[in-house]
Amino acid sequence: MISYAVAFFSLFTLNVFILLFLKHRHEFLKRPKSNGRFPMVSVVVPAYNEAAYIHESLQSLLELDYPKDKLEIIVVDDGSTDDTFKAAKAVESKTAPIHVFRKENGGKGAALNFGIKKAKGEFIATMDADSYVTKDTIREILPYFDDPEVMAVSPAVKIKPGGSWLTELQRVEYLMILFSRKLFSFIDSVPVTPGPFSIFRTAVFDKVGLFDEHNLVEDQEIALRIQSHNFKIRSSMTADVYTEPPDNVKDLLKQRVRWQRGGFRNYWKYRHMIKPEYGDFGMYSIPMQFATLTAFFALLGIMLYTFITTPYYVRYIWFEAFGMGVDLFTFIGAFVVLVSTLFLYLAVKSFEGEKVKLRYFVTFLAFYWYLMLGYNVLFLLKEIRKEGFSW
Amino acid sequence: MERTVSVPLYIGAFLMSLAVFLLGIYVGSTMNSSHLASISEDVSSVSDRVASVQLIMLMEGNSSSFCSAYSSELDAIDSEVERMGYMLSYLEDEKGVYDNELKKKYFVLEAESYVLSKKVKSLCGDDSVLLINFYSNQGCGQCKEQGTEILEARDALEAEGTDIKLFSFDGELNSSVADALAAQYGITSYPSVVINEKAYDGFREADALKTLIKGSS
Repeated sequence: MISYAVAFFSLFTLNVFILLFLKHRHEFLKRPKSNGRFPMVSVVVPAYNEAAYIHESLQSLLELDYPKDKLEIIVVDDGSTDDTFKAAKAVESKTAPIHVFRKENGGKGAALNFGIKKAKGEFIATMDADSYVTKDTIREILPYFDDPEVMAVSPAVKIKPGGSWLTELQRVEYLMILFSRKLFSFIDSVPVTPGPFSIFRTAVFDKVGLFDEHNLVEDQEIALRIQSHNFKIRSSMTADVYTEPPDNVKDLLKQRVRWQRGGFRNYWKYRHMIKPEYGDFGMYSIPMQFATLTAFFALLGIMLYTFITTPYYVRYIWFEAFGMGVDLFTFIGAFVVLVSTLFLYLAVKSFEGEKVKLRYFVTFLAFYWYLMLGYNVLFLLKEIRKEGFSW
Repeated sequence: MERTVSVPLYIGAFLMSLAVFLLGIYVGSTMNSSHLASISEDVSSVSDRVASVQLIMLMEGNSSSFCSAYSSELDAIDSEVERMGYMLSYLEDEKGVYDNELKKKYFVLEAESYVLSKKVKSLCGDDSVLLINFYSNQGCGQCKEQGTEILEARDALEAEGTDIKLFSFDGELNSSVADALAAQYGITSYPSVVINEKAYDGFREADALKTLIKGSS
């Protein structure tokens, strides 16, 4: 019975995505028309021990196709113990709009707030020091703000192709996340303004407050807070931003466990939004998060149970049992796999110029589950042991 | 911004999911009945083979020529019959698919091959052990476990070179054949095992069964 419920739930969520895609397929890659204005944009770059990347990151900002006098770059060195400050200063001395500040280590949220208080722009972009913008990132995003209710816009955060297999798999995943985030934007349910790069209307910080300085995933918390004030968050498919992903399994798991723990806490914090007045966000997006986690553990439980209770005699007839095992559940499972494949295919195809090698596509489909398994189990263990946070 | 709930979206997704589900139920039940049909066919064809071995035994009374020619055919029949039993159990245990008429038909076949094996054993003097597992699907907590223990004991002994032929009967299915066998060995409770025609009632672990089997031959 539980397995049928899990299967039905998976089908349902996939179908919601498919229907959203069918409905909005024509406006998927389009952005609103530019109004030709160039408002002042402040980019806040918090950095903790990012000496290796920050030079390239700042360089990408300087190459933005945006008037230099309308751009202000604020680097906040969050008490790095490496040469981050020196590396940022090196870029500052050469070119005008970069200001580098140093403060005592206080976490990413605090560093962001420090920079936001210094910012003068009408819009504030937040950017990780290990991420890179492309020439037209800002120009692709700003037109969304013509709608006065839009308070934040998330860009197309991607990973550069050509890395190791692990980064290639994450690349596929990022495309899929991006695709689903865009779909969520059509029902006003974007749940995150990604840390690698996002643009906020400066006024929003007066209305909803600054970043939470004690949060594992502050870029998600602020988005949920903006949603809780019923402001709009949009998602761009064309404003490319590249970020450096973890390049080994250990770091990847660490990152994901942090996302999962922080994400779960944040959704729990905003569970009061599960009400009809919060529309799709309250009645679908938030409950879906909890349901997904429940479904995942239920599925895990079912698999363990099946494994334990498989009759001993099955080994005499394993071939026939495999044939007889084909039933409703297998059928739906196959359908879910088929639809997921289609979903992933659409996700990858929907980006112009993003090519994914077939082998990574297939590997992702086959093994993503194990990554989820790994970090969800770690998540559960750490929550049970009430382990402290670190990042 | 004024928020709304996109009710048509969720109804649409619900109906799509429901459609897939109904299709799945249809496919699943079609496949289950086709599994049953194919087992039923197997039962009939093996029945025919049993009948021909029986007939030949009756015609040829001469043990030496019969034994060499037909004991291997009988072995094949016995293992085929056992395999069908597992398939029926699998459908019951894992799929919840029951077909009592097919099961009764299957018990007739099983009893036939048991009786035949018994005859051949005495006629040809082979040293294989005949083991009957009497179980019940109604409120018998330890019957499934007993099945596992029997298989474990059988596997261990077969590795040592003892040949064991296994027959399982549900004593509470109202199968006249199973009931007759149970009456013959005085079986009144489940689980019970009959090892080379000697009955033992109650649950027994693999090691205990191994000792019983070794002592019986």
